Amino acid sequence: MLSALNKYRTVFNVGLQSNLVYRVNFAVRGFFSFFHLVVVFVLWGAAYAGNPTIGGFNFGQTFTYFVALIVVQFMIGAFNEDYQISEEIRNGLINQFLLKPVNYFAYRFSIYLSARLVTGLLIIVPVVITYPLLRHYLVLPHDWWRLALGLPALAMSALIQFGIAYCFGLMSFWFLEIQGLVVLSMALESVLGGQIFPLDLLPDWLFKLSQYLPYYYQMYFPVAIFTGRLSDPAAIITGLGIQACWVAVILALGELLWRRGLRLHTAVGG
Amino acid sequence: MNLAHYLRIWLTAARYSIVRTLMFRGDFFIWALVELFWMTVNILMISVIYSHTKTVAGWSKYEMMLLVGTSLLIQRFLMGFFWSSIFEMGRNIRSGNFDFYLAQPGNVMFMATTRKLDPDSLINSLVALSVVIYSAVQLGLHPTALDLACYALLVLCGIVIHYSMLVLCISLAFWITSVQGIEGSYFTLSEFSRLPRAAFHGLASLVFVWALPVVVVSNAPANTLLHGFQFSLLAWVGSTTVAWFAVAVFVFNRGIRRYSSASS
Repeated sequence: MLSALNKYRTVFNVGLQSNLVYRVNFAVRGFFSFFHLVVVFVLWGAAYAGNPTIGGFNFGQTFTYFVALIVVQFMIGAFNEDYQISEEIRNGLINQFLLKPVNYFAYRFSIYLSARLVTGLLIIVPVVITYPLLRHYLVLPHDWWRLALGLPALAMSALIQFGIAYCFGLMSFWFLEIQGLVVLSMALESVLGGQIFPLDLLPDWLFKLSQYLPYYYQMYFPVAIFTGRLSDPAAIITGLGIQACWVAVILALGELLWRRGLRLHTAVGG
Repeated sequence: MNLAHYLRIWLTAARYSIVRTLMFRGDFFIWALVELFWMTVNILMISVIYSHTKTVAGWSKYEMMLLVGTSLLIQRFLMGFFWSSIFEMGRNIRSGNFDFYLAQPGNVMFMATTRKLDPDSLINSLVALSVVIYSAVQLGLHPTALDLACYALLVLCGIVIHYSMLVLCISLAFWITSVQGIEGSYFTLSEFSRLPRAAFHGLASLVFVWALPVVVVSNAPANTLLHGFQFSLLAWVGSTTVAWFAVAVFVFNRGIRRYSSASS
């Protein structure tokens, strides 16, 4: 057990080093995400002119939601994990794992964790730099129970994020080119995950429906808990239950795709 | 080197791209779907915002749709005619494959930026155009022939401005070698073109309306359809177009001078 942990700790450390190489690249990406906040500010600022609240929330609360979204994106979002997995399958790098006592999911997940540690820390930089500008608009609730419920939600969101990327990556066993599929699902995720607008602004029936889909738990759910868009602890606990079910389903699907995919896989050369 | 010569080169490249697309039909279908989906996302956002408010910066729902449709139209044309070539240019500069373009019989910038068409984007420009027409019908607009001609001209200017900005972004590769992620900066900028000009105040207005042409590119044609032909607007956009294109040509040619190829 301990040796298994040691194995993946080494993977984590290697992942950490290779991600630190791209720190400037990540920092630039973080910086441009904050440019996106200007768009959010202009558009929603104009929408709020003449409306003190939209969907029961004031401008500060909605703006805070979008800031939190970016931070959480850098903390748990799957960036290009699907692409990396797809590449490893396509060019045969995956063969080395088939011969060694390494669980591919655990290996990939360790790298994902190390990568998010780097990007999660780097996103603090633009937040700190722009804080003097942002602070007039940031409205965060201070209830402690939000941390107790939000952190497990965040952890499970990370599993869903990675799990979906893992499944898409494994599609390479069947399809040569998965980029199109990935971008298509990204569009779906960004709408139903609440990245384009807070999901609670959807018509009531659509919002209810979205709560049964995995995308809701990918991003919107933890962010809404932390920023005060969800405030009923009982409903949040039900949400955590549904989220746990989706985690189980997605991880099981990943395992199934891995087993089925390996049967199709042909390792060539040596 | 006359115009007919370049037209012949372009037609050959276009024919090659279309044959390629016909070879990978599934791919074409998926990418067309991807773009369609992203456009729907934008329209959806407008619908959601307007389900909670009547106006945004003085623009009604269908006026806003007309603006977003116009912005998408310009972007689809840019994607369809230039994106793949310009995107690959960045990679080619790094890998040294750019040599190939220097050796071709024609203007390097023309050769390097018009080589590939994306028929999936061109198909979707029809969808963007329908969004514009649908919004215009909902608003009960009756543009004159002059308004329509002016709209087309302003859209054309918009494409040239976007083209110039994109070439400028990617030309950075001549200096910093790796431009991975730089194309992201172009997309962030293009997000601004879906916002009404009246929504910008203070510093934001100075930067995004006056210094960078991103906002005016889509607002000018949309305004022409909504409120009729204005000569001052046309003159402003026209001169901005010439200026940005000139800068792009200048920077690109400076870049070529620095290009040192790469040996393998």
